[in-house]
Amino acid sequence: MELLILNGLANGLIVGGIYALVGVSLTLLYGVLRVVNFAHGEFVIAGSFFAFVLFSTLKIPPLLAVPLAAVAFFAAGWLLYYVLIPRLARSDDPELMSFLMFYGVSIAAAALMLLLFEADSRSIDFTFTPISVQIGPIYISTARLVALAITIVISIALALFLFRTLPGKALRAAIMNPEAIQIMGVDIVRLSAFAFALASSLAGVTGVLVALVFPAFNPFSGAEYTIIAFIVVVLGGLGNPVGALLAGVVFGLAEQMATVFLPQALAQIVGFVILVGTIFLRPSGLLGTRFRR
Amino acid sequence: MASPSRAADSADRIYFTLVALIGGALLAYFAAVPVLGLNVAFHFYLMLWITMASAFNVASGFAGYMPFGYVAFYGVGAFTTAILVKKAAFPLFLALPLSGVAGLVLALLFAPTLRLSGIYFGIVSLALAGICRLAITNMPEEITGGSFGLQLGSRAQPLQSFYVMMAVMVLALATILWLSRSRLGKALRATRDDAEAADMMGVNVPLVRLYGWLISAFFPAVCGGVEAWYTNVVDTETAFNTLITAKTVIYAVAGGLGTVTGPIIGAVAMVWLDELIWRQFPLLNLLILGVATVILVLFLPRGIVGTVLRRKPHWRRYVP
Amino acid sequence: MSAIEARGLTKRFGGLVALDGVDLRAGPGETLGIIGVNGAGKTTLMNCICGLYRPDAGDVLVGGERVTGQPPHVIAHHGVGRTFQVPRVFRKMSLIDNLLVPVLDRPASDSELIGRAEAMLERMQLIELRHNYAEELSGGQQKLLEMARMLMPDPAIVMLDEPFAGVHPVLCKFMIERIEETARAGKVVLLISHDLTSIYRLSSRVMALNQGRVIAEGGVDDIRGNPAVIEAYLGT
Repeated sequence: MELLILNGLANGLIVGGIYALVGVSLTLLYGVLRVVNFAHGEFVIAGSFFAFVLFSTLKIPPLLAVPLAAVAFFAAGWLLYYVLIPRLARSDDPELMSFLMFYGVSIAAAALMLLLFEADSRSIDFTFTPISVQIGPIYISTARLVALAITIVISIALALFLFRTLPGKALRAAIMNPEAIQIMGVDIVRLSAFAFALASSLAGVTGVLVALVFPAFNPFSGAEYTIIAFIVVVLGGLGNPVGALLAGVVFGLAEQMATVFLPQALAQIVGFVILVGTIFLRPSGLLGTRFRR
Repeated sequence: MASPSRAADSADRIYFTLVALIGGALLAYFAAVPVLGLNVAFHFYLMLWITMASAFNVASGFAGYMPFGYVAFYGVGAFTTAILVKKAAFPLFLALPLSGVAGLVLALLFAPTLRLSGIYFGIVSLALAGICRLAITNMPEEITGGSFGLQLGSRAQPLQSFYVMMAVMVLALATILWLSRSRLGKALRATRDDAEAADMMGVNVPLVRLYGWLISAFFPAVCGGVEAWYTNVVDTETAFNTLITAKTVIYAVAGGLGTVTGPIIGAVAMVWLDELIWRQFPLLNLLILGVATVILVLFLPRGIVGTVLRRKPHWRRYVP
Repeated sequence: MSAIEARGLTKRFGGLVALDGVDLRAGPGETLGIIGVNGAGKTTLMNCICGLYRPDAGDVLVGGERVTGQPPHVIAHHGVGRTFQVPRVFRKMSLIDNLLVPVLDRPASDSELIGRAEAMLERMQLIELRHNYAEELSGGQQKLLEMARMLMPDPAIVMLDEPFAGVHPVLCKFMIERIEETARAGKVVLLISHDLTSIYRLSSRVMALNQGRVIAEGGVDDIRGNPAVIEAYLGT
């Protein structure tokens, strides 16, 4: 039992790191643009397929796929922003319409991946040597440890970026008060495009990590990650990047512990219950500081 | 000054003439489908989607909610009929209304979510639909048939279920037509536009919203039941498929939320388009559905009817 | 008996005391002007009276009946109507439907209510636009629409929040006449404004708020020369 719990904790931390990244990118996007990317999970899975294709055709290892995905998805996000968002802003209720539009994007993205890769579950059969590492009494696969390390590096880099650099501070300011920042002379359109690109880039990288950590993925896995992203974002407080990082880890731990202690059927419901419970009991999230709308 | 009221009377006359004409044509057409040897399955689903999109419109267009887990009502309705018929040997014509009741009960359970607004409501609705699906999936196999689902086992009666679907559609459209002119409908629209202001103007906001929510939940549940009967089989994968929500939302938005005719026209146009595309490019179906949604939101956010009425504001009084 | 009475109304937002033991009473036909700088607590007072905010302490009585803590729609049915500083019309509803919202639960027939709504729009010179959506009106017209909507159920107490803010002078004059009519019809008028000229013209009595407290109350002439009011307005 103790071993199970330790395993659960370790896996919770690793999975939680991924959830944190899934959530932080979505929350950044919502914070700056006030759009809800329903297709976020599909973006992530697209990252997984990106790594899959790189490995299966060009033999590029997943580690190298991380920076490549970052660049490719950043560019794709930048482009997608200018195609989708400016028109959206002119509708009556941009927030809700964005939800609807990305609903369409998510269907289209899943369908596209289905056309390209078919419905079968894929995995990357890349292995590290050694395959696993012993830490105390438990064994953890090297791939998962590498993923955890990358998650931590990205999180720290992101935090430094948001709190130490000028563009990062501009992003945070835009989250807190979108009207004021325009008066301050910041080009909100470029900043938004950047936020969208950054969020897409993070989603793509997360997808590569998903391919490392989880046994398999298919075109329909996206929906699960969208839900996970919602859970993390709500738990962390809408538009709060630090909250999302924390919430991702908390949710990862909760989910993995649930699989230890609860029958599998109930463990699946845990996420939904956390989501609904948070919105009703603590709508401003774990940290309790709701960013001003 | 008497002229305004007289003008209103003539507007009413045009309105009711239009209702009678459109309604009559719709009724005659659908009633004649089996007689004329047209594709019964296609028209069965057309009526199903008209009903779904119209009922969804009550929650979205009238009350201002976006229930992204709308499929929950449909799925629960489907399973209610299937379980009652298969396991409790209920006659179908008792099971179908009870599916509607199941929808109402579920709507009452979800009623606390009406406190939420905007994306919070949408996300919670989505999560609740997920919980419903998991709950039914994990019920004992003796009740829900597990992953194989339930076979109703009754002899399929496509013609009978076709006309029952038609009756459900007529009932739904009549209800929504009444709602659009009723005081409840005005109260609902007021809460949609500004709930706090409506409250201060004497509208019992939670109650009004609950009524709208119940209407919106009843019909998809019945639709689920009728479809279960029509196809003779129910399983969680199809009964809780998120594509059901997606199609409902897209069809309603395509036509235009907030009008009675919007979702009807949207469903007719999109189901027809869907069929056309599906026949030509079966693989591209889903992709095109997604792209169509994006294009709709970007270029026709008010839908077909909504866009026309924006160009011709004075038509609003005549168009149901 | 006062038509409207507030006793010791207190409302706190976190650490901020927005209202601090405010007493208020007014009777039929009386126009009570409520003045004060931004943040003095004027709108908070109105929101507490109509039930939008639940006061932390104190009571609201309408026609002698305690309504504290009741939801806004119940208080509205006691005969309390209001307008808003920034108009809050029902944007995607016709002007007629906007006016019908406050009288939806009346037993009168639809055609009777529509007739009344049309008469009211006539009075507000909006009749030509009756089938337009409210969002298609100008800001000033939306203020008139709000006033019409407020008067539809024939409330005993009407509360006007900055009715003249951002309104064209010609329209201002029109609105002032409508407010005077309303008071003559025997209603209690609570009038919020930071514009002293219009307040002094319309009010039979004036109450000055500063930092959530009543700092002066009395006839227009008492308030006009009151040093505390001058101090609050000019500040230090």
